[in-house]
Amino acid sequence: MRQRLSLTARLTLLYALVSVLLLTGLGVLVGVMMDRHFAEQDADDLRDKLGLIREVMSTSPDIATLADRLDDVVHNHRDLYVQLQRLGYPVYASQSPAAFHFPAVDAAANRQMVSWQYGNANYHGMCSSGRLADGGRTELTICAAIDTGRHEHFMQMIGRSLAVYILLSALLGGVLAWWVAHNGLAPLRAMKARAQAITGQQLDTQMPVASVPPEMADLAESLNAMLRRLQEDFRKLSEFSSDLAHELRTPISNLLTETQVAIAQPRSADEYRDILASNAEEFQRLARTVSDMLFLAKAEHGLVLPSRERIAIEDEVAALLEFYDALAEEKNIRLQQSGSGQLLGDRLMLRRALSNLLSNALRHAPAGSVVTIDIAQQDDGSTVRVCNAGSGIPPEQLPRLFDRFFRADPARVAGESDGAGLGLAITRSIAEVHGGRISVTSADNSTCFTLWFPAQSPVAG
Amino acid sequence: MKILIVEDEIKTGEYLRQGLREAGFTVDLAHDGQEGLHLALEGGHDLLILDVMLPGMDGWQVLTQLRLRHKTMPVLFLTARDQVEDRVKGLELGADDYLVKPFSFAELLARVRTILRRGRGTVEATTLQIAGLELDLLRRRVSRDGKRITLTAKEFGLLELLMRRQGEVLPRSLIASQVWDMNFDSDTNVIDVAVRRLRAKVDDGFEARLIHTVRGMGYVLEVPEPDA
Repeated sequence: MRQRLSLTARLTLLYALVSVLLLTGLGVLVGVMMDRHFAEQDADDLRDKLGLIREVMSTSPDIATLADRLDDVVHNHRDLYVQLQRLGYPVYASQSPAAFHFPAVDAAANRQMVSWQYGNANYHGMCSSGRLADGGRTELTICAAIDTGRHEHFMQMIGRSLAVYILLSALLGGVLAWWVAHNGLAPLRAMKARAQAITGQQLDTQMPVASVPPEMADLAESLNAMLRRLQEDFRKLSEFSSDLAHELRTPISNLLTETQVAIAQPRSADEYRDILASNAEEFQRLARTVSDMLFLAKAEHGLVLPSRERIAIEDEVAALLEFYDALAEEKNIRLQQSGSGQLLGDRLMLRRALSNLLSNALRHAPAGSVVTIDIAQQDDGSTVRVCNAGSGIPPEQLPRLFDRFFRADPARVAGESDGAGLGLAITRSIAEVHGGRISVTSADNSTCFTLWFPAQSPVAG
Repeated sequence: MKILIVEDEIKTGEYLRQGLREAGFTVDLAHDGQEGLHLALEGGHDLLILDVMLPGMDGWQVLTQLRLRHKTMPVLFLTARDQVEDRVKGLELGADDYLVKPFSFAELLARVRTILRRGRGTVEATTLQIAGLELDLLRRRVSRDGKRITLTAKEFGLLELLMRRQGEVLPRSLIASQVWDMNFDSDTNVIDVAVRRLRAKVDDGFEARLIHTVRGMGYVLEVPEPDA
């Protein structure tokens, strides 16, 4: 596998590369412009020279005189080469004629500049025609050429300087990029250091938000939100374990004592049977507490609805009232149902939730009173309201009513008829799993629990 | 009726064996999946009680192997995990029932009997009769020693359940589930109240009491032993 480059290395390389590319492009552009400029300069120069030669020619009566005068002219211009042709044959050539070799006189004839290479040197050349001062009888082709070596030397020098400059720029750009990236990523390293220090016990650590660039502030904020959620979940989990241990300790200790006392001395079979039966009842309560706790734990960790169907709430309430009928009659309490509504959810869970509310109402309603169950359908959802008469719940206890193991009357202990104090917590969990909620109001003489379920239940699990 | 228990927890296995034996079943016990599969292939059992978590070969695998070899005896799974996926998996593999630990023995026994009864094609009786107590299923009437007893619909259902399964101790959860279709544990004493009221109508004023409370287990309808 290829090793991944660090962000800093990537930025450094990118900057260096961009510097090289940009400056090289600029260098090439300048080179081309200078080349063109030199060529134009040469062309002008050659045109001047040709004009000069024609002038000399127009005052020279014959070729020999012309040659002498041209030798003087050419002598002062070291880089200038002149050749005269008559009817295609050279009649005069300045300096070494071998080096002076027009490849295409025709092409050059009409004052067009041509360039060529001969040996190690490059030349620019141009031709024209003129007549001697012999009455215009002798027409000669004049060709002049310049050695461009000086320009090339200059260009090479510029090129070398540019190359050095580009290298230096790339280096500098890279270093600058490294510095910027390294500094820019410093907050990330700080976050890393903090993240490394976070453990289950130190979830209250927060990422720095104010001191980092805006892009990273978002990240830090998200991480902080995540940490807060984790912390909350973690707290719940710890509470769950300690609650569980605490709740199980008392019944287990009771069972242990009862059993040990029982076997401490011989007893009659009936006595043993009684003790075992009592133990069995206690064990059943324990088992129920454990499964209720597990249900709650699952609900808090995103329980998926086992099934999802359209339920007519009034039917479920009617079934539950039938179930509680005998108990209510026994306590001389009337159960009264009204209204109708629908929800999308799990039937068993809905029954369980409603059952907890009903048994709670029956437990606290005084004899001779009425427990009312009102169902209502609104546009956005449906509500079930269970009200019972009774002494009312102190306002400060209302918010804690749905906490696990909360009992309004602390004097009562686990194992009494009101169960382990998980019923309302379970009902709330069930409402939340359905995307709904539960609320409670309590006045002097009545207490009402209201379950609300949304018309659209949460995203299918 | 022969039952095979496959359970790696020694104590649980022993207690289950003892309990089921005393309930009148012939019981074999295996402690791991391999042994269980072996016994199940040999033994001609009427029911398999299978723990899901077993060393070596787990309960799912044992069941899969059995079904591959065309062993069709009913299977009841025991598990310590209560996950919907597990339940679905068990039922997909062809398990007949599913009990989550901790369960009460009365519950297990009642379920075992339900499963075993399912196999037999019982003739639908129109009346049930025990010691002078008569239940007319068609006309929904109850009488004892010729005297008409008026019951509510649910009381009738409760009595029918007790009579159909006379002699069996029925746990409260099973009664709630069968009579009221309440398939969850309720922490109330609804069942106790309902049974008490039914008993008042059925037993009060008669010499032999038919509906009995078995403490720590549930309720049973049976004719008492003469000497008890």
